[in-house]
Amino acid sequence: MGLLFLLAALDGLAYAAQVFLVAVGLTLVFGVLKILNVAHGSLFAIGAYLASTLVGLVGVPWLSLLALAMAALAVGVVLGPVIERGLLARIYEKEHVLQLLVTFALLMILEDVQKLVWGVQPLFEDAPVRLLGQVEVGGIVYTVYQLLLLPGVALLVLVVLAWFLRRTLLGRTIVAVTHDREAAEAIGIDSRRVYLLTFTIGAALAAMGGALAAPTTSLVPGIGVQTIVLSFAVVATAGLGRIEGAAATALLIGLGRSFAVYFTPELEVVVPYLLMVAVLLVRPAGLFGSTELRRV
Amino acid sequence: MLSLARVEVAIAGARILRGVDLAVPAGGRVALVGRNGAGKTTTFRAIMGLLPLVAGSVRFDGTELAGLPAHRRTALGIGYAPEDRRLFPTFTVEENVRLPAEVLGLPAAELRARLERVWELLPELVELRDRRAGALSGGQGKMAALARALVTGTRLLLLDEPFQGLAPALARRYGEILARLVERERSLALLVSESNPELLAPFVDTIATIERGEILSAAG
Repeated sequence: MGLLFLLAALDGLAYAAQVFLVAVGLTLVFGVLKILNVAHGSLFAIGAYLASTLVGLVGVPWLSLLALAMAALAVGVVLGPVIERGLLARIYEKEHVLQLLVTFALLMILEDVQKLVWGVQPLFEDAPVRLLGQVEVGGIVYTVYQLLLLPGVALLVLVVLAWFLRRTLLGRTIVAVTHDREAAEAIGIDSRRVYLLTFTIGAALAAMGGALAAPTTSLVPGIGVQTIVLSFAVVATAGLGRIEGAAATALLIGLGRSFAVYFTPELEVVVPYLLMVAVLLVRPAGLFGSTELRRV
Repeated sequence: MLSLARVEVAIAGARILRGVDLAVPAGGRVALVGRNGAGKTTTFRAIMGLLPLVAGSVRFDGTELAGLPAHRRTALGIGYAPEDRRLFPTFTVEENVRLPAEVLGLPAAELRARLERVWELLPELVELRDRRAGALSGGQGKMAALARALVTGTRLLLLDEPFQGLAPALARRYGEILARLVERERSLALLVSESNPELLAPFVDTIATIERGEILSAAG
């Protein structure tokens, strides 16, 4: 029983790290652009497929980790600006329903592009996991990749992102636009540039989530949709736009799902959503969200 | 310095400004007076580029501002304090005040000089510098919004209903600060809106009355 508990905890931690990387990009983009980007799941999927392809191409095990990073960066800096400038910039002033439909359409299109490029056969490339080897923890042999690399990268992203947003001028301009776009413009902040930068960061984070997930699972069509639904559950449970909240909630949902896998497997799929419903019934703004009061 | 000519602005299809003509010369202190809904805030937002013009022109120092993005207007020396303060609540007072100067990329000495000008004029903010803007009272928030506008407003200061919601003692203090400012900085142009013109009498030289989006009169 003790071993099972430990295994569930380790699995949950690794899973939470993956989910956090995707959810944090989603919540960052929503916080600034006020658009719930359903196509975020496609960026995850394309990041995963591209990472697998690059890892296969480089062939050399010690370069495989670099290949994962390159895949995330490439998706972020190429697809991010193209989507933001080419599509989203045209719908910022439109109704939320339309924005949701447009990003949903983009998800569908990118799903098909992904099938066109990589086909529908499962793709599996675990060189980065093999490269880092295994380690024994409390009697359980576990991969270093999942035990240390995934949680380590997630923690690093959280710390760097929090530092960037609070301590750098560029970060503070992002926070200012998050609070009040018009007031930010009135003090000299170029909100168009902030939108572009934020979306590019969000896209790179989604792709990084995909790239890091790729060596641990078989890539099949539909992983983007699964991911966006789960990420949305994390973001909604935390409170839209809350970065530290997304980390805590990803941990809660990751561990919840993992313990369900080992102890009540029939509930595995629904546990994240049960947690979301339970939280939102009690706190509609999410665990870390707040209803904003406006002083008059 | 600032001139609006036949400015028309519409919000959600409704015409709010109907051919506004208004001039603020260098060193001029102009009050824009009118009832709620007359078009005062819309005039300010149009000057700042936060609303597009349907027709007309806004010129600053002879340069047409109509095509200039809102975020590039502070670099001209314009500072704007909106009616409802619009501070960034998770930033401290000092972060709110510094941000416009940092965004402009001012050299360190210039940035320091501008902040010193602000703290000297508003000494009551010095002890609040580390307080989060979201934790300020309404009056303190008005002072912080003025401070933020002053950082970029070295040539033209736009104050939208600065006295609204202030307790009488705070309104008096705000008035003293403005009177001191205009006395010290003779070349600074000021456009300030208010429903009650009596509050502005000590420091304005021209009163323009706006009604239903039209300037009815401008008297010195």
